[in-house]
Amino acid sequence: MTSLVQPSPSAARSRRLAAVLGQPWSGVAILLLFYLCLILIFSVLSPFFLTLRNMLAIGSNVAFIGLMAAAGTPLIIAGGLDLSVAAVAGLVGVLIAIVHADGIDIWVCVFGALVLGALIGLVNGLFATRLRLNPLIVTLGTMSIVSGTALILTGGLTKPLMVRGFNWIGSGYVLGVPIPPILMMATYIVLAIVLRRTQFGRFVYAVGGNAEASRLIGLPVERVQIVLYVVSGISGAVAGTMLAAMLGAAAPNAASQHLLTVIAAIILGGTSLYGGRGSVWGTLLAVLILGTLNNGLTLLDVSSFWQDVTRGIVLLLAVAVDQLRLRLQGS
Amino acid sequence: MSAVASSVAPHRLEMRGIGKSFGGVAVLSDVDLVVEPGEVLALLGANGAGKSTLMKILTGLYERDAGTIRIDGTAVSFVDPRAALAAGVRLLPQEISIMHDMTVAENISLADLPMRRGPGFRVDDAAMRRKATALLDELGFGAIDPNLAAGKLSVAEQRIVEIARALAGEARILVMDEPTAALTEQETRLIFRLIRRLKERSVSIIYISHYLREIFEIADRIAVLRDGRNAGEFVTSAASRADVLSAMLGGAAGDLYDVAARGGAERWAVLSVEDMSVPGRLSDVSFSVDRGEIVGVFGLVGSGVEVLGRAIYGALGPVVEGGIRIAGLPYRPRSPRHAKKVGIGFVAADRKREGIIGDLTVRENMVAAFPDRYARGLFVSRDAEAAQSRRWIELLGIRARGPEQIMRTLSGGNQQKVCVARWLVEGVTLLVLEEPTRGVDVGARREIYAELRALADRGMAVLVLSSDVEEVAGLSDRSIVIDRGRLVGRFERGTAPTRLMAATAIDPAFAGG
Repeated sequence: MTSLVQPSPSAARSRRLAAVLGQPWSGVAILLLFYLCLILIFSVLSPFFLTLRNMLAIGSNVAFIGLMAAAGTPLIIAGGLDLSVAAVAGLVGVLIAIVHADGIDIWVCVFGALVLGALIGLVNGLFATRLRLNPLIVTLGTMSIVSGTALILTGGLTKPLMVRGFNWIGSGYVLGVPIPPILMMATYIVLAIVLRRTQFGRFVYAVGGNAEASRLIGLPVERVQIVLYVVSGISGAVAGTMLAAMLGAAAPNAASQHLLTVIAAIILGGTSLYGGRGSVWGTLLAVLILGTLNNGLTLLDVSSFWQDVTRGIVLLLAVAVDQLRLRLQGS
Repeated sequence: MSAVASSVAPHRLEMRGIGKSFGGVAVLSDVDLVVEPGEVLALLGANGAGKSTLMKILTGLYERDAGTIRIDGTAVSFVDPRAALAAGVRLLPQEISIMHDMTVAENISLADLPMRRGPGFRVDDAAMRRKATALLDELGFGAIDPNLAAGKLSVAEQRIVEIARALAGEARILVMDEPTAALTEQETRLIFRLIRRLKERSVSIIYISHYLREIFEIADRIAVLRDGRNAGEFVTSAASRADVLSAMLGGAAGDLYDVAARGGAERWAVLSVEDMSVPGRLSDVSFSVDRGEIVGVFGLVGSGVEVLGRAIYGALGPVVEGGIRIAGLPYRPRSPRHAKKVGIGFVAADRKREGIIGDLTVRENMVAAFPDRYARGLFVSRDAEAAQSRRWIELLGIRARGPEQIMRTLSGGNQQKVCVARWLVEGVTLLVLEEPTRGVDVGARREIYAELRALADRGMAVLVLSSDVEEVAGLSDRSIVIDRGRLVGRFERGTAPTRLMAATAIDPAFAGG
């Protein structure tokens, strides 16, 4: 059958658009564009926004969220999910404070915190893979246990944690840049290399893309997922340590309120909740966008209630655009 | 179109000139199908003949491109399955679809629960039980307890409950797709008894089955489809099996398999299987596959052929009993990882669910099984992978824009070739393929056959498991037939497909002769 209709100029234009949007990198490109627009808008609206000080402040503010989102990204790509990560951050902070108060060296406490984070991740991983339980339910359970434990240990109170050297992790500078964003960036770079350049990275995408096919070509499906749960647990511990060092105090629920932001950032960054698709660079941009939005709206004196609404709108918009993009890619 | 005279009683179902194409490929052309009230019509055809497309049009899942459908003389046009249900057309899919945790009575009344009067939307349990009991009694299965959880019933009883559910809504036409596939001989009798009752109630039945023996027992007439066209119609009492088979399979298999074995390579058994059993699915199967040889295993749906390959590959875990040797060494299937190390490759039947990783590129799919072969230390080399992928794309004639094309945008045949390419690395000596050309068009099919032959010529041992009898007969150097978990026939190259098919049609009462 021959087409009787000549393609109109507008049809040709939409085809070109589809070709661009269909590219795998277009998702990250759209986020970058959005981020730059955001910066432009806030710079025009507020004289305090585009200053080095403010930019570094944004970096420090988003660092602990960015860390957890970085580790959560490969986990979700591989078909997992970790809701307990922010609760782990909270527990780890108060444990360091309590154990250090008993006279244990602060760095031993920090090391113990990382081990604890890894162990909680291991439990999540074993439940989710070996018992084939839904990760949403497993990590909802551990989240509840972990955040409950933190409240029991502290009676709900904030513990002071002022130790020279330790607090430097949260508030120190290297070459004029605060340490938290440096740690965060290092995490992103390492994870990006692992995902893109190593065999393990290959496994992550394959397992998330089609677990059954991966099993049938002999890939270590469960082992990959367990490792990623452990990494996520450790990221929670590092984030919790950093937050406590930054604030000079550990509150049992300091981090848990940010769980939804972590998950939102991963999804906003283009990672599919169904697994198989996503990148840490997308997540990083999403973290920066959410942080900038927060910072900019605060500078403009918008109430924090409105900030929640804005964040929700941005998230829905991003997911809708991403779906549209995928459909174009398929055709 | 208006040929139905008003004085003659109308047909229960009259499909005329039905046509349907997908993406420019005609799947059905000018197909007629007529069923009378209270008649059992067997619909027969090889895989891909168009049976299921025709039935999907009848039950409103697909829209037809051409033709007319009349039910009891009235022209109908179903836009969705609900419309077909309302007209009394019911489909019983091959997979039993009852709710295991609900009672028999609940299952039967599911679509139309009797309610109690008054507010609160309460279900009238007593009325529901009465309805179920009455219906089961009428069908001659009053012994089934309506209060029992349906999951506790035998498979045959579940099938009966499913049929009762279909009848609860006044079915006029019942389409049964392989209703006996998972049943034993005795259980099949129960279903046949039920079908005879349905005939008395003047329900028309379209019966889809590969089992000729059953068809000759239960059907009044047989309609055969081949390549999307009518290929013959028989009154069962006056037809012979040979006639029906040759209508179904056509004459020669054509030049699709114009790929003769070259031989020459030194022969030794890469895989030898002795008295292998998988509890509940296969018993005492023995065969071997030599280096450079293609061995085909034919079996109908539910025969056990679908577990044979994956059992050997370890995909079912360590469930296999009996002796298996790989290159002479004892081998016990444990897991795909283990099988891979031993040198076995596997291409699964369900390409989309178990084969491809759709969001990844062709290159990533190809190297997925052995990423370490293209790695330097910890890091993979994308260049080395791309170079190898390009070689495979050329070798197998894969139509892709290049190694970086997204896998799911390839056609079925090309996806299948990628799934084969994965295993073309040093060390893999046995390739096991399930349904290698399911959902693949004829052109690509031919290429895949040629490629499998080329692999064999290069020394690979190839084991093909298929429910497509022509494929097994045409492709294999040697073939075996599995039926109801047992090996029922061994054949040499060049055996007619009808003989393979006939091997499954032997009545167990006469088996052994």
